[in-house]
Amino acid sequence: MGGHREKDDGALLRAVAAGDQAALADLYDRHAGWLHARLTRRCADPEVVREVLQDTFVTVWRSAAGHRGAEAGGWLWTIAARRLVDARRAQERTARGAPEAEAAAVPSAEDRVLAGLEYGDVGTALDRISPELREVLRATVVDGLTTRETARLLGIPEGTVKSRARRARTELRAALAQLNPSPLGGPA
Amino acid sequence: MSRQWHTSEAQAARYAAGSLPEPDAWSLERHLESCADCASRVSAAVRATAAGAVLADVRAAVLASAVREVPVSRFARLLWAAGPAVRGAWSAALLVVAGAALLLGQFRGAPEARTLLLALAPVVPVAGVALSYGPHADPLHELAASTPGGGLRLALTRTAGVLAVSLPVLTLTGLLLPASGAPAAAAWLLPGLALTLATLALAPLTGFRTASAVTACGWLCAVLAPSPDEIGARLARCLDGAPAQSAWGAAVALSALLLAARRTAYDRTH
Repeated sequence: MGGHREKDDGALLRAVAAGDQAALADLYDRHAGWLHARLTRRCADPEVVREVLQDTFVTVWRSAAGHRGAEAGGWLWTIAARRLVDARRAQERTARGAPEAEAAAVPSAEDRVLAGLEYGDVGTALDRISPELREVLRATVVDGLTTRETARLLGIPEGTVKSRARRARTELRAALAQLNPSPLGGPA
Repeated sequence: MSRQWHTSEAQAARYAAGSLPEPDAWSLERHLESCADCASRVSAAVRATAAGAVLADVRAAVLASAVREVPVSRFARLLWAAGPAVRGAWSAALLVVAGAALLLGQFRGAPEARTLLLALAPVVPVAGVALSYGPHADPLHELAASTPGGGLRLALTRTAGVLAVSLPVLTLTGLLLPASGAPAAAAWLLPGLALTLATLALAPLTGFRTASAVTACGWLCAVLAPSPDEIGARLARCLDGAPAQSAWGAAVALSALLLAARRTAYDRTH
């Protein structure tokens, strides 16, 4: 595990950018486990998960110098999520090409989910909406993917992603209203 | 704000085992993005599961490729970024064009060789641009295009790489062929630049390959068709003299303006 244990992520990334392989190993030990678990929750194929994980850290090795500011964990997940979408698309390329469309803006009910996630008050509400709506919410809100990327990840048309996101918002708002009889207008 | 709690060993173990229910898992996942301590704890828990073997394998593979791929200096990385085309088949094509012109000069008399070289030269950087940018050129394209400044800046960097290689090679080749009657060896530079910039300006609308095909075919049709015998005369009209060159200069400026006006389109295309 080496002498990098005490370093924070930023220092590790700077060392990786400078070509320090031990720092890459430490970064891997710190983050690869949860990235693997998170990818596994989103992709049933262990081979794809494995490839995406490896691609992610190879990308980190090549482009750690390009990392700016953001939390290292969030940055790693961004790379991994994009690689996962790419892997899915490569799998489905033989099937048919998806139509192009613009990414949708993240609506406000979803922002509330994001703000509430770490405090648990939305958890019960999320439990009440159906699994396929939850899947869309997870991809767009938790994983920060665009509509287009979500469609590729889940293998459904973009129109379906949009309509499910709309329905998820409505259902979530209803579920939240049931949990909190007081109006939702207050500071979230 | 986001550090108000930390994950427990029990929660980490349940997440690692895949048995943590969805809302709690989301909450934890968001938290792991910004908390290195919890990231370490959960990663250790995952290593203790059946996934541990896979993690060890991938770790070995990642470190092995890190050893093979020693990170390079900023300048070398810039050169690398400059070049799917430069490091691929396009360089070979460039050398073939230059070499063929020289050979032709040996066997068939210089004016004809230089004329053909000048007719083909403006298309060479355009082809380089077509091969330089886009999903077909770059396995990491989506990632590169989504980074700040990755879109147009990357396209311009790569175009500069293509121009830096093709301009000197083709112009020097032209100089090696004695000029009897054909336009000057550097006469293709402005047309080449104008076609390249026009391709870049057109690319967000049509994609790089279509844009290149349009500009390259446009040039070739104008110069080669309809009667290949008169290439020399037609090329001289297109390239020789101050008015022709000024027109090309204006075309360069116009294309550059168009490109500047359309630069935001690069953020939306892949």
